[in-house]
Amino acid sequence: MVQSILFGLTIGGILYIIAIGLSLTFGAMGIVNFAHGLIYAIGAYALYTMLSKLGTSFIVGALVAVAVSIPISYIIERFVIRKLYGQSIDYAIIATYAVLLIGVDAIKWIYGPNPLPIGDPVGTSFRVLSLEMPVYRLIIIGISVLIFAGLSLFFKKTMVGKIVVAGLQDQEAVKSLGIQVEKYFAMVFVMGSALAAVGGVLYAPISTLDPYMGFHIIILCFAVVIVGGMGNLRGTAIAAYALGMVMAITGRFWGPAADAMIYVVMAIVLIFRPIEL
Amino acid sequence: MFSKIEKNPALTLSLITIGFLTFGYATSLPKITDFMIFCIFVLGFDLIYGHMGQLSFGHMLYLGAGSYGTAMFVRFVSQNPFLGIICGILTATVLGFILGLVVVRTSGACFALLNLALNEVGAFMVLVPFPRWTGGEDGLSVSFDNYGFLNFGNPNFLFYFVLGSLLLVAFLIICFVRSPYGIFLKATKTNEIRVQFLGYNTYVYKLTTFVFSCAIAGFAGALNTVNLYYTNPSLIATTRNVEVIFATLMGGAGSVLGAVIGGTAFMTISNYLARYIVRWEMFLGLALLIFAFRFRKGIWGYVRKA
Repeated sequence: MVQSILFGLTIGGILYIIAIGLSLTFGAMGIVNFAHGLIYAIGAYALYTMLSKLGTSFIVGALVAVAVSIPISYIIERFVIRKLYGQSIDYAIIATYAVLLIGVDAIKWIYGPNPLPIGDPVGTSFRVLSLEMPVYRLIIIGISVLIFAGLSLFFKKTMVGKIVVAGLQDQEAVKSLGIQVEKYFAMVFVMGSALAAVGGVLYAPISTLDPYMGFHIIILCFAVVIVGGMGNLRGTAIAAYALGMVMAITGRFWGPAADAMIYVVMAIVLIFRPIEL
Repeated sequence: MFSKIEKNPALTLSLITIGFLTFGYATSLPKITDFMIFCIFVLGFDLIYGHMGQLSFGHMLYLGAGSYGTAMFVRFVSQNPFLGIICGILTATVLGFILGLVVVRTSGACFALLNLALNEVGAFMVLVPFPRWTGGEDGLSVSFDNYGFLNFGNPNFLFYFVLGSLLLVAFLIICFVRSPYGIFLKATKTNEIRVQFLGYNTYVYKLTTFVFSCAIAGFAGALNTVNLYYTNPSLIATTRNVEVIFATLMGGAGSVLGAVIGGTAFMTISNYLARYIVRWEMFLGLALLIFAFRFRKGIWGYVRKA
């Protein structure tokens, strides 16, 4: 049972790290960003490349992976997302989904369609630690809590964070103060994407890499965002850990149903609290 | 000139008939049967996307429900293909009604994502819990009784049966859209709050449309089973939702002819050009980006203006 709780917190932490960027773009720009899943996959694959091809240490690989994701997410923001502000949400969904498709195919092109096993250097470097006590999982939980605390401080204390929070509440009012909200939202977008890459880097060693990993995680994260409330930062955190626990406990009794259970919970939440968007 | 065709149901239907007959006899009947089944699915999808104005990212669920409903009925109850098709449609309709009660309450992004999530659950239900009944990864292969010339093994009969079904669905949708109900739906799409303000319960209308759309998707799924003699999890796979969205956008949303043109164009690309397109998903993605940014009205939208 302790194992399950630990597992739930790990999954919850990963879900939180990835979903927070999604929640911000959702709440701030009203854009459903499927490309987020692509950045997540790019983070994981960049880490794989660094470790297996260039033979760097895990920390260096992780930093490079996150650094790689930043220009890519900026390109996505500049050429796709920015053109979709204020337009029908359907086109945003379709366009970002198209970006995800292109990216997935590019990954398949470069790395081949087969899942890359955990048995690569990523896994072995942590096998010693995860023998009895899965220290790596504890590290993930720790990092997710740190990120949560860091983001809370960021949104409370810094000017950029305050502007973004205000923009989430009432975009027009912030604009009328002479602040270019879009610029700050773009910054937050890139930051959220970098966090998605962090999620990919952290999750890679305890799962396998496959080109479609982005598809899979993005639907889970949308569930988190919908349950937690769009653009609701604390709600996202609570929903992420709660759904992580749901996944772990379901997985303990019936492994394959873990993902499906999340969507069932999401549907139940929607029945009792319909969200109009 | 082209907008006149759209306003005249008889002209629209005869255009579809002539088009598919020519296409069918010029290439091969079984292939064009596939095309027409996909067109039925696109018509059903367009009912919620084009006419109701909600993008669903999980309509494969209802296609799969229809397909599995038919296959399981034929496999375990009776080999009558007609009862099988009816059972498939009923499965999709009932499922659409139950899920629609929740789904239709949401809109926009929530609607798209909730459908996607439910589709994922559906795919899971087919794959994992009851492999004895659904066949798991392998799917189900079935066989049908035949009654004289009512033989689905005969490609000619199948072709005309599917053509008749396509015309029936197209006719129903045209009637639906032209009725006061359809006009009402258009009003809801444009400004839902205002329609509510006039004292109408938009929820009921949207739910009915959703269920109707699910029934058509289920019909397409049932025909798919009859056509292929099997069903498998790829008919309910979430990743294939993009195909129907692609087809709808390419043809032009919100019109029967647009949906049929889009469905045919997509199937033509995936059947004849896919050989030359090595990176298929990349091609789909780039084309979708072009549709979303530059080509929103689709083929029919541009032709109509001419």
